[in-house]
Amino acid sequence: MPTGKETHTDQAKPHRWGMVVDLDRCTGCEACVVACHAENNIAVSNPEEAARGRVNHWLRVDRYYEGQFPDVKVKYRPVLCQHCDEAPCEPVCPVNATYHNPEGLNVQVYNRCVGTFYCANNCPYTVRSFNWFDPQWPEPMQLQHNPDVSLRPGGVMEKCTFCIQRIKRVEESADAGSRPVADGEVQPACVQSCPAEAMVFGDLNDPDSKVSRLAGDGRATKLMEELGTKPKVVYLDRAR
Amino acid sequence: MAEHPELLPYGIIREDLFRPLSRAGSKWWFTVTVCFLLVLAGLAAWGVQLRDGLGVTGLNRPVFWGLYIVDFVFWIGISHAGTLISAILRLTDAAWRKPVTRAAEAITLFALMIGGLFPIIHLGRAWFFYWLIPYPNARLMWPNFRSPLVWDLVAILTYVTGSAIYLYLPLIPDMAQLGAHNKPWRRKLYTTLSLGWTGSDREWHALEMAMKLNAVIILAIAISVHTVVAWDFSMSIAPTWHSTMFGPYFVVGAIFSGIGALIIVMATLRRTLHLENYLIKRHFDNMSKLMLTMSLLWFYFTMSEHITIWYGNEPKEMGVFGQRTRGDYAFWFWTMVVVNFVIPVTLLGIKKLRSITTAVIASFGVLIGMWLERYLIVVPTLVTPRLASATSVYSPSWVELMITVATFAAMILLYLLFARLFPIIAVWEYKPHSPEEED
Amino acid sequence: MFLIAEYRSKDALVEALLALKGAGLTAEDLAVFSEEPIEFRKGILDRHSNMSKAAVAGAVTLGTLATWFVYYAQHNYELITGGMPIFSFWATGIITYETTMLGAVLATFFWFLWESGLIRRRDPEAPIPVIGPASMSLRVKCDSARADSFVETLRRTGAIKTERRGK
Repeated sequence: MPTGKETHTDQAKPHRWGMVVDLDRCTGCEACVVACHAENNIAVSNPEEAARGRVNHWLRVDRYYEGQFPDVKVKYRPVLCQHCDEAPCEPVCPVNATYHNPEGLNVQVYNRCVGTFYCANNCPYTVRSFNWFDPQWPEPMQLQHNPDVSLRPGGVMEKCTFCIQRIKRVEESADAGSRPVADGEVQPACVQSCPAEAMVFGDLNDPDSKVSRLAGDGRATKLMEELGTKPKVVYLDRAR
Repeated sequence: MAEHPELLPYGIIREDLFRPLSRAGSKWWFTVTVCFLLVLAGLAAWGVQLRDGLGVTGLNRPVFWGLYIVDFVFWIGISHAGTLISAILRLTDAAWRKPVTRAAEAITLFALMIGGLFPIIHLGRAWFFYWLIPYPNARLMWPNFRSPLVWDLVAILTYVTGSAIYLYLPLIPDMAQLGAHNKPWRRKLYTTLSLGWTGSDREWHALEMAMKLNAVIILAIAISVHTVVAWDFSMSIAPTWHSTMFGPYFVVGAIFSGIGALIIVMATLRRTLHLENYLIKRHFDNMSKLMLTMSLLWFYFTMSEHITIWYGNEPKEMGVFGQRTRGDYAFWFWTMVVVNFVIPVTLLGIKKLRSITTAVIASFGVLIGMWLERYLIVVPTLVTPRLASATSVYSPSWVELMITVATFAAMILLYLLFARLFPIIAVWEYKPHSPEEED
Repeated sequence: MFLIAEYRSKDALVEALLALKGAGLTAEDLAVFSEEPIEFRKGILDRHSNMSKAAVAGAVTLGTLATWFVYYAQHNYELITGGMPIFSFWATGIITYETTMLGAVLATFFWFLWESGLIRRRDPEAPIPVIGPASMSLRVKCDSARADSFVETLRRTGAIKTERRGK
């Protein structure tokens, strides 16, 4: 059985990144989805492929309907990689392509991936997406690739990284200035682009950070927490 | 031989069993050609998949495993025909096993060779499959030994090695006998492979010891291999896959389908190689009884698997259960129950109906049923993920179907070649008189 | 020098073996050649075998080596996955099990090749009798001085043919 001592080496590290999503604020505008695509060079699927279930999003907005037509209420839930502390996707990978990095991020190393699909099958949130073909972008979108993010070849699995390139950039500039990373300094693309400010990102190790305070809110829930995956994404939802 | 009439039976046996090696009819050539072309077509389909990517399959998110994994489990299951059945019969010293064992052991080896390909075929980047093997490499890292897929690799490599040796050992004396005649290239092949076997009592004694030990070890390996295959599913937390029962359930299913394959092969050999005096009704009768037992066992396991899900009424598991029993897959589910349980039990359980023909019919049903069982384990779970928003459908593409067909052709092809190169019944084991009669 | 005698019945062969052993020959000097295995009662032509010990030794060796290697590899490049410990017998027990079995299989196979004499250099002097279906040949290694008496024994016990080879 896993013991606490060996598992949470990330406790000793300066940061433990996490996110809070306020479902009561989310309007379902999907700006986060678009921002994620632009930031992370995610290949764009075409209508035929999308109809076959090959849409490629690292972040999707699930819709939940309540009531009967015409009296319908819609609730939205942005679902991204939950960066589980005890991620079911990790131990099943035979080539260590997905593992737990020291800052608690569940990372995917594209160059190691051989495409066994086991991680994706074992992800209860279905947030991993696969490159069915070599990636393609409709003209002229291939001209706006983010130079900080590698392009993934066909045949490898990929998923949300919490915009690790942005985390690294902030950490490096903080190191260079010999100062701690300020709360709110790291902003993944989805957080930055959310007009309703429903998403908050920060360091869960810092008890005073906004994300830590919100995570202790009475409305806080985690998605499928009962599976024991220990997700680092917290949803705020008014109990009804 | 004529001057020793008392030896004639053995001489005839030898002649009968060696004859197929030197004569190939037009039917044989026709079947070999057709199977070879189908294998080529399968390779071409795989080529298309390697060139374009896994997008040419019907897979999607969240149905990441499809026909390839179904075929993988199916073929590994078929491989249990041989080694397991032949090992059990050898250990219990069942005399009737003698004409059956080699036919069964050959199935094992070929089914493993084919089944072992599927984990490679289904990879996103199949050309890097060797990254699962621990060797000092430029990536400066080792594979993840906690992954069930690495367990699989080790288990299947062990099984292939074990069953190849298990098939090879009793072939040595036969090849030594064959080394005396036949065409020059065959003479060379047989004498090389028989390692200079002279037939001394020391050699026989060592062979007997080795066969006994290997029979025990191969039993332990065979059971563990299919358990590990089952654990590929059980170790995950997907609804209905995460079942403690999958290990034994898969082993039972594997032996079940293996017996089906063996009965079909035996009937075909009897017909085409004119082995009516060797593979007699008694063999089919005994195999039918074995299959009947496995059919009942399979039903028992399927029953306990599903009734616990139904009674427990856990929503996610019930989603999969509903898909199987009354949803999109209901037709196939109930077909499976009919061909795996109703038909075998009727045809083989009622003594009047039991014959070689009905055994073959039931066996074909069982093969179809066991393939469906694997499909119904893999796909319905994946199309109903835990978050309803990710729900999807799956239908295999022509590439997947072509590769599946090609593996069946490959099995037939390998078997036809084997039956022409080596005596399909162990000649030295098939003594003119069975021990019971001698006593 | 070698004597070769051909027999048609197992009883006659057993009688010959007992007579020769009574005359002071050991199982090492005797070899029976046949196209199918002949089972002798205990005490007639015993062949000692260490194969099961070899199998156990092979199993323990490969299993231990593999387990040590997994332990080494996991610590050599420490990656945490899914909150699991770096090394755990639970998570790698299958590998230990399978390699143990593989060790047993390989040891058995190589021990078979060794013990049967197939990969050992044989005595180039020793003739290998030609055997036919259901005929059994007995090869006796003996001093040329005693050859005559042994041939006599072989004939008496029912040998169809006897032959002398070598010096």
